[in-house]
Amino acid sequence: MSFLAFFLIVVSLLSFVAAQLILKRAMEATTTTGFRNAQFLSKIIGGVFLMTISFFLTLGLLQRFDLSYLYPFQGLSVIFITLTAAVVLKEKLNMRLTIGALLISAGIVLVSMS
Amino acid sequence: MQNRPTGFGNPWLQLGLSIACVLVSEFLLKRGATEVADTGSAWSWTGLNGLASPLVWWAILLIIASFVSWLYVLRYIPITAAFPLSRVVDILVPLGCWIFLGELISPLRWCGIALVVIGLALVAKPIAQFEERL
Repeated sequence: MSFLAFFLIVVSLLSFVAAQLILKRAMEATTTTGFRNAQFLSKIIGGVFLMTISFFLTLGLLQRFDLSYLYPFQGLSVIFITLTAAVVLKEKLNMRLTIGALLISAGIVLVSMS
Repeated sequence: MQNRPTGFGNPWLQLGLSIACVLVSEFLLKRGATEVADTGSAWSWTGLNGLASPLVWWAILLIIASFVSWLYVLRYIPITAAFPLSRVVDILVPLGCWIFLGELISPLRWCGIALVVIGLALVAKPIAQFEERL
């Protein structure tokens, strides 16, 4: 696999993870500030924009690689989202959640490899 | 998680709905795409010819519905729990293929499914206890 392909896989994964975190922030804020404000709209648009980038990068990658090869990287999103949510969003992370996320990721990798 | 609505607004119900919508949409997409498959056409690689199938349009509607439910879920449930749980769809799809489409599941894939189920149980249990305390 070329460096470019690896780079694109990482960018696609990171933009997906960032999109989820931004959407989470946007929706959380609505419990106090409601939906009609510029901050909410800009976050939702930003999140959807990042998801779109991730979507088209994945489409481009799918034209060059097998789904079974690319899918395990999607499985990693569980670990990435769990860890970044703990760091960036300050969500509480315990041993159980961490091991659970690791097992789910490993399971997804196995399911897509076989 | 304060002031959490109940009934149809229950975020756990919405998480389930979001997962169900994704699951059904995957099967509709597979059916729809196969129905109108025309690999000879130059346009077919874009997937745009799939839009000729009404099943694909139903799938698109379900995907939009699942996104709206997902946004609602994000409003109330920590993403460290909601996202891992939403990946249950990664094992429901192969299980659905096995039950409804008669596709075979290899031993390695069964092992993967088992790992995901254990992982889901680990993530879900502390949340269930947390909910009980509320």
